[in-house]
Amino acid sequence: MKALTVFLSLVFATLSYAQETEYREARLQMVREQIASSLGGRSPVTDEAVLEAMRTVPRHAFVRKSDVRSAYSDRPLPIGYGQTISQPYIVGAMTEMLAVRRGDVVLEVGTGSGYQAAVLSSIVDSVFTLEIVEPLGRTASDRLSRLGYDNVTVEVGDGYFGWPEKGPFDGIVVTAAASHIPPPLVDQLKPGARMVIPVGAPFQVQALMLVEKRRDGTVVQRNVGAVRFVPLTRWQ
Amino acid sequence: MSDRSSKVSDEAVSRPPASEAPPFLLTAVLAIGGVGIAFEIALVRIFSIAQWHHFAYMIISMALLGFAASGTALGLLRNRIIGREATLFRTGALMLPLSLVGCYELSQSIPFETLQLATQPRQVLHLFSLYAVLSVPFFLTSWCIALGFLLRPATVGRVYYANLLGSGLGAALVVAALFILPAHGMPYLLAAVASGVFLLAGRRLPEAEIVAETESPLSRLTAVRSPLIRETPGQIAGYSVRSQGALPEQIGMFFDGGSISPIHRFEGSVERFAFLDHVTSALPYRLVASPEVLVVGAGGGTEVLSALYHGAAAVTAVELDAGVAELVASLAPFAGGLYGRPDVELVTAEGRGFLASRKDETYDVIQISLLDAFTASSAGVYALSESYLYTTEAISLYLDRLTGEGVLSITRWLKTPPRDAIKLFATVVEACRLAGLEPAAHVAFIRSWNTATIVVSRATLDDPRVELVREFAESRGFDRVYHPGLDPAEVNRYTVLEGPVYYQSALRILSAGSESFFADYPFHVRPATDDRPYFFRFFRWRSLPTLVGSAGRDWVYYVEWGYLVLVATVAQAALASLLLVLLPLWLLLRRRPGAPSRGAVSCYFALLGLAYMFLEIAFIQKMMLFLSHPLYAVGVVLAAFLFFSGLGSLWADRHRRRQLRRVGTVVALLAVLSALYLVVLPSLFNAWAGWTASAKVVASLATLAPMAFLMGIPFPTGLQTVADRADVLVPWAWGVNGAASVVGATLATTVAVHAGFRVVVITALLCYGAALLPLRGLVTE
Repeated sequence: MKALTVFLSLVFATLSYAQETEYREARLQMVREQIASSLGGRSPVTDEAVLEAMRTVPRHAFVRKSDVRSAYSDRPLPIGYGQTISQPYIVGAMTEMLAVRRGDVVLEVGTGSGYQAAVLSSIVDSVFTLEIVEPLGRTASDRLSRLGYDNVTVEVGDGYFGWPEKGPFDGIVVTAAASHIPPPLVDQLKPGARMVIPVGAPFQVQALMLVEKRRDGTVVQRNVGAVRFVPLTRWQ
Repeated sequence: MSDRSSKVSDEAVSRPPASEAPPFLLTAVLAIGGVGIAFEIALVRIFSIAQWHHFAYMIISMALLGFAASGTALGLLRNRIIGREATLFRTGALMLPLSLVGCYELSQSIPFETLQLATQPRQVLHLFSLYAVLSVPFFLTSWCIALGFLLRPATVGRVYYANLLGSGLGAALVVAALFILPAHGMPYLLAAVASGVFLLAGRRLPEAEIVAETESPLSRLTAVRSPLIRETPGQIAGYSVRSQGALPEQIGMFFDGGSISPIHRFEGSVERFAFLDHVTSALPYRLVASPEVLVVGAGGGTEVLSALYHGAAAVTAVELDAGVAELVASLAPFAGGLYGRPDVELVTAEGRGFLASRKDETYDVIQISLLDAFTASSAGVYALSESYLYTTEAISLYLDRLTGEGVLSITRWLKTPPRDAIKLFATVVEACRLAGLEPAAHVAFIRSWNTATIVVSRATLDDPRVELVREFAESRGFDRVYHPGLDPAEVNRYTVLEGPVYYQSALRILSAGSESFFADYPFHVRPATDDRPYFFRFFRWRSLPTLVGSAGRDWVYYVEWGYLVLVATVAQAALASLLLVLLPLWLLLRRRPGAPSRGAVSCYFALLGLAYMFLEIAFIQKMMLFLSHPLYAVGVVLAAFLFFSGLGSLWADRHRRRQLRRVGTVVALLAVLSALYLVVLPSLFNAWAGWTASAKVVASLATLAPMAFLMGIPFPTGLQTVADRADVLVPWAWGVNGAASVVGATLATTVAVHAGFRVVVITALLCYGAALLPLRGLVTE
C-alpha cells in the first residue's frame, strides 16, 4: 500500500513537472516570439525586467480552465463579466511604457484576472489594483494570494477616482478603455511618473495614451498606438 | 373603357373577368396606403432609437422591396388569381394588421448590432433576416394596392389616387401621432387602424436607473442617473480634482438611446463649474469679456453653465428638441432651474433657422460645441446625415451675427487619422474668404487629445488677443494648431503626434495651394456646402487600399460607417431587385401577342421609378434645412408628393385624350419647375426662415404641390396605356417601377453625397426625359 502511494505520488509529481515544463516552454516561446519580437511590425519589448517577469508569471493560472490551452496564444481571452485578459504583447508593452522599477509603487485600474498586477509585482515594490466588478476582484485577489504575489493589494471599487490614500504613484496603468483621461488619476501621478491608458469609444479602436507628468507639473500625452479594450466600468 | 376587350390579346379575352371589386375598395386602398407609409415613418423613428439613424435608408428600401416583390408575386400568380382578386384583396387586408405587429415584434428579437457588422459574419445574416421580416407588411400593403388596380382595371388612375391620397394622409398623421405616442407603439396603433381589432399595447423598458423620460417627434429622451456617468466636454486638462474640487454629479440625458448630454447638479452657484474652464471650448471666453452668448445645441446645459461660469451677461440657449426643456424642467431639484434663470433664454429651434429668423440680433460669442456624441462620432455613423450647421453658408451666417469683437467657437471631437477638425478648419477658412475676411488673421485652432476648438473673430486676432490664446493653451496643455504668428517650434508638444499633421494641414488650407491639398489628402476634407451638406463624410475610395494596408483588419474602424452602409444598401437593393423581382418576371411571364414590348415597359417604368425617387430624396434633403429636422422633412415631403401626385393621377384618369403626348408636356414643365426651384428656393427659404413651424409646413406643401402634381401624371398614364392593351403586364410594370424605386432611393443619396443635390435633381430630369423614348413602345409591339 505504501509502495503504491509512493508510486502514485511519483507519477503525479512527474506529470505535474512535465506539465509545468510544458507551460514554462510555452511562456518562453511567448516572450521570444510575441513580446520580444517585431512580429507583424510591432515594436519589440526590450526591457529585461519586463521580459523576465513575463517569463515567470504563469499566465495559464489567470485564465479560465477552458482557455488554459490558449493561455500563451497571441490574443486576449474572455474571463467573464464581459472582461478579458489582454493579449500578452499588450501587457508587456504597457508595462514597459510605464518605465517603473524596483522601489516604485504602481496603481492598476481594472484588475481583471490579476495577470497585469502579477507581472508588475515582479518588477516594483507594491501594486495597488482596483476592480469594479466584485466577483472578478475577489477571484483575482484569491488567485494572487494563492500564487504568492504578496505585494499586490486588490480592492473592489471605481477606478475612475484612483486610490488617493495610497498615492501618489510612480506609475498608473489602466487596463480598460475610458472616454477621457480621468483627472483624479492625473492628480495621483508623481512628478516624472507615467500613466498608460487606452482612451476612446467603447468597442472601437482606442488610442493607447502615454501620459507623462513632467517634473514641472505639465502633462504631456502621446498616442502610442491603436488598441481595443473592453469599456472601463459598467456595473451590470 | 368600353372598348378595352378589343385591344387585349385573345388569350386575355378568353380568361374569366376579374372578380367584382368590393364596394369599399377605394376607401380600403386609401387606408392601406396610409397605414403603409405610416409604418414606414414609424420604423424610421424606431430605428433611430435602436440602430444608428442612417439605417432609416434601409427602411425605405425594405418598404420598396416589399412593394416590388408583391408586383413579382402577382405577376407570377396572374393565372391563378384571376377571378379571385377580391378574396385575395381581403386576405391581404386581414393579414396586414397581423404582420404589422408580428413582423415588428419578430424584428425586435433579431439581435442585429450595427457596430458588429464588420466583425461578426452572422450579423449579415441578421441584417438579411431583418430585411426579409420587415418587408412583409410592405409586401401586403402593395399586394392589396396592386390587386386594387386589377379589380378596377378601367380606372387605375383613381385607385392610384386613393393610394397616394391615403399615403399622404398617413405621412401627415403619423408625424402628428408621434407627438403623443411612443414610436414603438405605432405598429400597434397602425394594426388597430388596419384591422380595428388590435388594441394599443405600449411597452416600457424596465430600466431601474431611469429617472425621467420624454418623447417628442424628434427623439426619445431618457434621463439616467448613475454614479458612473461622467461626461466631459472633451478632455479636462490642467484641473486638479484634489485642489479644485470633484466634478459635479451628473444625470445622463440620452437621445434615442444613443448620444448623451449630461445634466449637471446645479445649486445656483457656478463656482463648481471651474472644470469647464479647462476644456478647449472655453477658449472664446478668453477673447471676450462679459459676453452675450448664443449656445447652439444647448442639450443638458453644459455650455450654458460654462458661459455663466465665464461671466456671460446673457445666454441664449437654442435647442432643437422641445423634449429637452421639458426633461430638464422635470429634474428641477437636480438641475436647479438652469433654463428658468433670468439671464438664460431657452429657445426651441434649429440653430441656423433661429439665426436666420432673428436677423437683427448679434452675439459676442456663438458657441457650437460637441453636438454629436463621442461614440457616434468615432464610429462615423453620421457620414450620411446632412448637417446644415457645418457648411460654408452656415458659418457665413454665424459670422454675420457676431458683434465687432465677437467670436464664433466650434468644438468637435477629433478623429484618428486626422480629418474632422481639418474639414471644419477648411470650412471656416472658406467662409471667412466668402465674408471678405483674410482667414489667416482671424482664425485660431487648438486641440486636446480628443477635441479641437476653432475660433474665428470678425476682428483681427492682434498680438494681445493671440497672447490670450497662447496663455490659455499653454496653461492647460492644449496644443496650438494655428493662430497668427504661431512659431512652428511651438506646435505638437502636449498631445504629441507622429508629425505636426494638423499644423501642416492648416497651413496648406490657408495657402493658395489648398485645392491640391484637398485633392491629395487621404480623406474627403473639402468644405461642406448647402448643396453637399455631408460634413461627416470623409471616406475616399482611393484611400481604401492604403487604409487596409496600414490598419489590416481594423481598417473598418477608421472609415465612416454610414457611407459604407449606404453603398452596401445600393448593392443589396440592386441585387435583391434583380433576383427577386426582375428575373422571375422576365423568365416566367409569357409574352402575349399584341402586348406592348416588355423592354419598353421596363424602361419606361424603371426610369419613372428612378426619377420619382431622385426628386423625392432631393427635396427631402432640401426641406431639412428649411424645416430644421429630417423627420419633419420626410413627413412633409412624403405627404406632399403622395397627396399631390395622387391628385395628378386623378386628373390624368379624368383627362385621357392624347395622354401619351401629355407626358412630354409634363416632363417639359417639370424641367422648368425644377430649374426654378434650384434657383429660387434658397432665397425663398431664407426669407421664410422666421416663420412658425406650421406656416413653414404650409409653405413647403404649397411649394411642392405643382411639382408633385405633375409627377403624379406619367405613371398612371403609362399604366393605363399598358392596362388597356395587356393587363397581364400591369404587375410587371408595377414590379419594375418598385425595383427601380428601391435602387433609386439609395442611389439618389449616393449621388448627393458625391455630386450634390443639384446633380440629383438634374439626373431625375434626365430620367424623365429618357422615359419619353420608350413611350411609343407602350402602344406598339
